[in-house]
Amino acid sequence: MLTSPKESRSDRRVAPRTDVTATAGPERRAATEPLRVAIIGNPNTGKTTLFNALTGLSQRVGNFAGVTVERVEGAFRMHDGRRVAVLDLPGSYSLSAGSPDEQIALEVLLDRDGQHWRPHVVLVVVDACHLERNLFLASQVCELGIPVVIALNQFDMAQDQGIEIDVPALIHDIGVPIIPTVASRGEGIEPLKKALFTAAELPPPARRFTLPSEIEASLVPLVAHLEKGGFPTGTARMEALRLLGVRRGEAHLASVPDLVRQLDAARDAIRAVGHTPEREESEARYGWIGELMQRAVKRRIASTETTSDRMDAVALHRVGGPLIFLAIMALVFQSVFSWAAPMQDGIDALIHWMGSGISGLLPPGDVQSLIADGVFAGVGSVLVFLPQIAILFAFIGLLEQSGYMARAAFLMDRVMRRVGLHGKSFIPMLSGYACAVPGIMATRTIDDTQERMATIMVVPLMSCSARLPVYTLLIATFVPALPLMPGLDLQGATMLAMYLLGTVAALLIAAIFRKTLLRGPVRPMILELPPYRWPSLRSLFVSVWQRCLLFLRRAGTVILALSIVLWALATYPKADVDTSLAPEAQQEQQLAHSALGRFGRAIEPAVAPLGYDWKIGVSIVASFAAREVFVSTMGTIYGVGGNDDALLQDKLRSEVKADGTPAYTPLIAVGLMVFYVFALMCMSTIAVTIREAGGGRLGWKWAGIQFVYMLVLAYGAAWLTLVGGRALGFA
Amino acid sequence: MTTPTSRELPVCTCPLGDSEMGSESTVVAIECGENEACRLRALGLYEGAQVSVVGKRHCLLVDVNGTRLALGADLAEGITVRPQGRAAH
Repeated sequence: MLTSPKESRSDRRVAPRTDVTATAGPERRAATEPLRVAIIGNPNTGKTTLFNALTGLSQRVGNFAGVTVERVEGAFRMHDGRRVAVLDLPGSYSLSAGSPDEQIALEVLLDRDGQHWRPHVVLVVVDACHLERNLFLASQVCELGIPVVIALNQFDMAQDQGIEIDVPALIHDIGVPIIPTVASRGEGIEPLKKALFTAAELPPPARRFTLPSEIEASLVPLVAHLEKGGFPTGTARMEALRLLGVRRGEAHLASVPDLVRQLDAARDAIRAVGHTPEREESEARYGWIGELMQRAVKRRIASTETTSDRMDAVALHRVGGPLIFLAIMALVFQSVFSWAAPMQDGIDALIHWMGSGISGLLPPGDVQSLIADGVFAGVGSVLVFLPQIAILFAFIGLLEQSGYMARAAFLMDRVMRRVGLHGKSFIPMLSGYACAVPGIMATRTIDDTQERMATIMVVPLMSCSARLPVYTLLIATFVPALPLMPGLDLQGATMLAMYLLGTVAALLIAAIFRKTLLRGPVRPMILELPPYRWPSLRSLFVSVWQRCLLFLRRAGTVILALSIVLWALATYPKADVDTSLAPEAQQEQQLAHSALGRFGRAIEPAVAPLGYDWKIGVSIVASFAAREVFVSTMGTIYGVGGNDDALLQDKLRSEVKADGTPAYTPLIAVGLMVFYVFALMCMSTIAVTIREAGGGRLGWKWAGIQFVYMLVLAYGAAWLTLVGGRALGFA
Repeated sequence: MTTPTSRELPVCTCPLGDSEMGSESTVVAIECGENEACRLRALGLYEGAQVSVVGKRHCLLVDVNGTRLALGADLAEGITVRPQGRAAH
């Protein structure tokens, strides 16, 4: 099913389309068309903050499962009404893509990503404090034949550090508009917007340095070969120089036949004249940048120990470092659970009030039942998790913006390395506590394919926010609040145990994958530790807002649809209920007669070994698409409309099986939670795994492996809990 | 100590991890996987760049032109530098 986009991709690689750009330079823009601007820059340059400052809340994050998933696109309007579309490309240190993230950036800039979004202008965000390293990427981008604007960001910090930058001299030497900005305070944004339009009318920049003539001569056949493969001259020269140092296959080069042979020939020719091919690009670019820096940049103060170094002395301390890390993690979890509670209660009360208000207006019957038990009970039970998701993502954003996330990856590298993962795998796993989908997407920063796949496979084992409602309901109902020690009772300890169980399992399973299906050496660590910074609250707000919107969209579509379907399945076909019975018994009769009840009894033998009756079986099956549906299904099955948790808890406690024994015991409840720790019950996760594992058959294969191993693990662990618990004398 | 005049001169060079904490050295050669070498060069750690080791943990913490990098010990082994000001060892 995924072959057709690939075909169309390779179709586009044939010459006619690219010829236009080869001869005409930048594409002319129709007057009605918005100006397309792509933003690129090194990680930690404030690129996303600048993007947020430019576009504000008018951003569109592609749907998780859709094709535009890696694209964060925004827009703004000039005062005179001209429109600008802005694309935030993933942070890249160079165009030599090491990670899938950087590969995407290069493909967009070369217009080979299959989206037909060739930018009119590229905005390169450059960190004024680390100009030399940042200009490496900028100098590559300047050879792509697209007009470039450079934003000299964090200009204030450079001044504070005694770095004096002669901006006109830089503009003169690089040959593109350069605007100093302080994105976190919104400074320089207006001039930057104007510069984007000015630049669009300017001829694109070109290479400003010359290679030694013998190197240039050695590259001639390679450049000609790339031009034949559809690259415009400037781009072909850039690619030829860049590829001297990279031997791995890059997807966008698949259109150039016989490239490897040409590359080897060029490398041999360079070696023959006494040079080292791998060094040529960095020597040429850094050589040019070095001259430029001498002319345009003065350091008043010699670099000494900075505040960041002093903070790192503590944060990366052998003993203190891990302690601080654990304290921060504890704070994150504590706040997710305790700070969110009042807001959750508020949302809960609001939904309950709206639900009963609306159903009060309707006559009793199916329509009232649909609104109260289907829509409000279903969607409401999911909406209450919005505060937790917002808080968790706010913390992740805070850790990332402040620069601590890199330190956490550094500290975790030792642990991760033992199970065959990279320190960087920690960040996706942390995001996994909020939601596996952004967690899996965050693996794009991991260069090594095997390490990345192993991380993808285990991210869904981290207890995400969708499991919380299941844990919360079952713990509140069946686990007594016995105090264990100050600040921790048995309920809290059970919750903690579920999180630990998932985390430990994730590490163990990763180790197993790395020893079997995904064998390979762990890549050595190369990690930038960016200077500590005050986070920009505005930018933080925008990114949390984006996350919340995505969650709400899901609640309004997938969960809403599932809730209505479930309600219908539990309501039809109608039974001839015996009206002389108590209302609960009538409900029971109706449910047993319904499509849902019949299905539940059919699968009862499969869940019976775990101690579950058919009602739990139905809830599990119903929540295979999304875990949080478990709670709303329970609500629907037990006929607890609105969002009345206390009533549902009472019902669960007093529920008996057909043989008169209690349907739920604390042991069964714990087993059920263990099942939910391990089982992959989330359509969005499956969809994102398919895509991130390479799409097509490969993607389906990995998603299949992931789903099956997690289901086996869940079933086995729940069964062991029950059998083991009984052997130990628990009920 | 003789002043080395070309990067081929083997005198006074050592792996990055053996260079003295806090003192500057010049990168002479990078021998590691191609992907890693490519990444290091993009991060400003190229042949000819000035580096100094600012911390040694389970990884090496180095300063390259104001950028702080954490490098795995095995990787740092493959980076040969020429310490400045004083001879190695």
